[in-house]
Amino acid sequence: MSKKIASLRELDELRKRGLKSLYPDKPRIMVGMATCGLATGGKKVFEILSKGIEKNGMDAKLIPTGCLGYCQKEPLVDLLRPGWPRIIYQQMDPEKAEKLLDNINQGNIWRENVLAKMEEDEFLIFDEKRKYPSGSEANLNNTPSYQQLPFYKKQLRIATRNCGFINPTNLAEYVARGGYYSLFKVLTQYEPEQVIEEVINSGLRGRGGAGFPTGRKWIYSRQAKGDIKYVICNADEGDPGAYMDRSILEGDPHSILEGMIIGAYAIGAREGYIYVRAEYPLAIERLKEAIHQAQDYGFLGNDILGGRFSFSINISRGAGAFVCGEETALIASIEGRQGEPRPRPPFPAQSGLWGKPTNINNVETWANIPVIIARGADWFSQIGTQRSKGTKVFSLVGKINNTGLVEVPMGITLREIIYDIGGGIPGGKKFKAVQTGGPSGGCVPSWLLNLPVDYEQLTKVGSIMGSGGMIVIDEDTCVVDLARYFLSFLQDESCGKCTSCREGIVWMLEILTRITHGKGEEGDIELLEQIAEVVKNASLCGLGKTAPNSVLTTSLYFKDEYEAHIKDKQCPARVCRDLITYIINEEKCTGCMRCVKECVQEAIVGERRKPHRIIQEKCIKCGICYETCKFDAIKLE
Amino acid sequence: MKRVLLVNWEKCIGCRTCEMICSLLNEERCNPTEARITVIKFEEKGADFPVYCQNCEAPACEAICPAKAIYKDDITEAVLVDIRRCIGCRMCILACPIGGLSFHPARKEIIKCDLCKGDPACVKYCPEGALEVVSLDTIGVKRRRENIRKFSSYLDMMTGGKE
Amino acid sequence: MLKIVIDGKEVEVEEGLSVLELAEKIGVKIPTLCYHPAVSAYGACRVCIVEVIEKGLSKLTTSCTCPVESGIEVKTNSEKVKKTRKLIVEMLLARCPDAKIIQDLAKQLHVEKTRAPQKNENCILCGLCMRICREIIGVDAIGFANRGHKRKVTTPFEIQSDVCLGCGACAFVCPTGAIKIEDVEDKRKIDMWHTELGKVKCERCGRYFFPESAVEYVKRKSLQDVDGFLKLCPDCRKRVLANKLVCGW
Repeated sequence: MSKKIASLRELDELRKRGLKSLYPDKPRIMVGMATCGLATGGKKVFEILSKGIEKNGMDAKLIPTGCLGYCQKEPLVDLLRPGWPRIIYQQMDPEKAEKLLDNINQGNIWRENVLAKMEEDEFLIFDEKRKYPSGSEANLNNTPSYQQLPFYKKQLRIATRNCGFINPTNLAEYVARGGYYSLFKVLTQYEPEQVIEEVINSGLRGRGGAGFPTGRKWIYSRQAKGDIKYVICNADEGDPGAYMDRSILEGDPHSILEGMIIGAYAIGAREGYIYVRAEYPLAIERLKEAIHQAQDYGFLGNDILGGRFSFSINISRGAGAFVCGEETALIASIEGRQGEPRPRPPFPAQSGLWGKPTNINNVETWANIPVIIARGADWFSQIGTQRSKGTKVFSLVGKINNTGLVEVPMGITLREIIYDIGGGIPGGKKFKAVQTGGPSGGCVPSWLLNLPVDYEQLTKVGSIMGSGGMIVIDEDTCVVDLARYFLSFLQDESCGKCTSCREGIVWMLEILTRITHGKGEEGDIELLEQIAEVVKNASLCGLGKTAPNSVLTTSLYFKDEYEAHIKDKQCPARVCRDLITYIINEEKCTGCMRCVKECVQEAIVGERRKPHRIIQEKCIKCGICYETCKFDAIKLE
Repeated sequence: MKRVLLVNWEKCIGCRTCEMICSLLNEERCNPTEARITVIKFEEKGADFPVYCQNCEAPACEAICPAKAIYKDDITEAVLVDIRRCIGCRMCILACPIGGLSFHPARKEIIKCDLCKGDPACVKYCPEGALEVVSLDTIGVKRRRENIRKFSSYLDMMTGGKE
Repeated sequence: MLKIVIDGKEVEVEEGLSVLELAEKIGVKIPTLCYHPAVSAYGACRVCIVEVIEKGLSKLTTSCTCPVESGIEVKTNSEKVKKTRKLIVEMLLARCPDAKIIQDLAKQLHVEKTRAPQKNENCILCGLCMRICREIIGVDAIGFANRGHKRKVTTPFEIQSDVCLGCGACAFVCPTGAIKIEDVEDKRKIDMWHTELGKVKCERCGRYFFPESAVEYVKRKSLQDVDGFLKLCPDCRKRVLANKLVCGW
């Protein structure tokens, strides 16, 4: 019998099934099994729980789920029992999983390893809230609620609305939380132009980095001549440290599909592609399953939802090239050609995939579409700032206490993200800067922390929003070395087509490398700025045009650090090996000989109970002695 | 009106003045290998025959040029090579059945007869009047067909197959 | 017809031209390296950079790929353009110090020396050879391999090409002369493409005159091979033509 949905009633039936699955009359245990969960041991936890449930003959549902955003605390286990408070457990392992099962069996609430209780759950699409028992009777008053946790308090999860809440491979659960209702609304009530108008009025801007008004892009594709048009989802996410798109693809793949189907309807496309980087195998798997399910239920394919619109989606895999995140290089890659950008005009909206009008948007952009349709452009445009509407997902990583993915309204300050949500810098270290926008972005120093985050503000201070990477660095990070790292990355990833990017980055990197090796010369910074200007203005694509940003911002805000390297041959952060010295403090040294034994270069001399000494010519600055010494007798200068 | 070069081979005495003047005017030196016209000698038979590009109506060189660098002059309809567009693949040289084009070794350019912009020097300087430039009116067309018929199996290509 | 301003002069031009083509038409000289009128514009060398001002915003862009649009103002030699072009030539000079065309360009732009790290390449990665082979000849024997500064032009898997015609167009268009073709007896060798091709022997004089694959290409594309002229070198073709007459005489 066909599962295809062709009416609101049938969609409601599917929703009911999904709700039963989300809120069964037995315990439902969700384990974080996105890449963050898997990396911290989520699979073992899942297996132990699975075995335990079977062994004890328990009647319980064990569900893998996506990333809840608090990656620092993974593996997370979410326990929902009818009539009981909903509790999220953190940093689980097989032993703790056993304890949890025991408690469930005994009818108790396990109080260890609790991250938070969930008092209410929001269905963003329907503007509904679902409440859970508060647990006051169970003495959970002191347990923080999920919404009150500093990490979540200031977040507003729109694009990541379902991540960590549903089984990503269960279509009914997606529908239960409002999935595909926007598609239904669009296909039954909206003309394509109305859809575009709604997106324009929402103020949504491309979340891939450029921030181009999405609705306006859709109009160009709609107006372009031709019967054959394409929509593409750019899931190439190549910035080091950025994994926002990955978590949406792994945790809520249907949100992308729904967004793309709506977009295809709006511009008149009948075929779409999702270009996923090959390094995201789990995301690719989830997408494939989601596409199959969507086809089975009639959300994709011919006569969608029983109407006259037909649309199909193909998956195209990347092959390890960062530059293929650039839209024209991406298109070349799908076409089977070498992944290199081409000059624009013509823009993809007029002539894109196989020369046809093509609309490309980023994963996060597509994920916002169903919500905009459901809640309306007015609602969406009230979130954010005047020119940057809505929310943005950031990957908060680096020297930060709460590593993870955060989705916040535009306009929130960097200070709030780093200190309120991120929990500040670990180890009591001093914040130095936050690097935004990946290799194309720049460093924002501490005196600019009150900056409200939006496209224009970040550009004003010399950085960019980019795709959402936010790398926090502290006093132990050398900004010159950081700029060198990013340039080294771009040198490898540049396609090599245009002279300015290809040769310019090599030149800048050579200068930076010299500086970090203590061979900086007078005039290096001025030369870097000259080269940067040319690379920025003369390069063919975004990679080249933004490549100098890391050097430009760090030399602007941390000129003294550069000068220390060049003039004084010192690295204030004690990172650049050629500029640091390990010295034994003879007063603290107890002569225990531990470092002597550990030193691979045999560079430390000394007898038992007599102060040791490091022979500098042999020392390779590996730092093993520093880490070995229990008496804090080795200094780094 | 299109003009073509006709040769009355019986009059040719093999002096090769045509080669000299052609290379002199085009290359500023007398070097027969750089001329666009070549006199083939048959010593035993006492015959000499100047060979040059026939400026065909349906040139094989124009058809094969992958860069579309070969075209016909607006006025003289001579078959010319746009040096700027030429990519040096030499397919034109290969495609011409009578060896009408060659490659200048030093300047690295395709060279061929271009009718000297309509007033061919070889015609003017040939001491015996063996070379003639003819307008393709009705009589000219006939004469040209006759001229080519005996020596070329590519009559139709050269004359456009019209009668 | 579109009206634009180029170097302070108002010009009217038909649609469909690039800024570079327009400049050529009106006699304004813009240096190029990777441009060739027979192939599509590529925008790789960045030497033909010009300043384009549209709706009050100025940007630098390659003139070979910039379509002429109504109302734009073009500056082909502003201070910004000069500065940028000079540094790009410095980069090229560092990459290919022995390439005459780069040396000439440097002299022309008063670039005396380069401050960039020295390399010793011959190829400026303009892509002309590849584009000619793909778009004009149509056999697509060579292409770019690797990325970034490791980018190079070569045959698939860097082995003998099975489609190369040996026509030599790549060597002809190469601005730096990086591609060398060697004719040795009955073979044509192109070391850069790891390719060696046999040549056709003229039936009449015995000279090996052109690679066989190129002759096959002509055979496939052209007219009847009456009298088997393709087996003759061009000089012998002249002789055979003359001979026909003489024999008949």
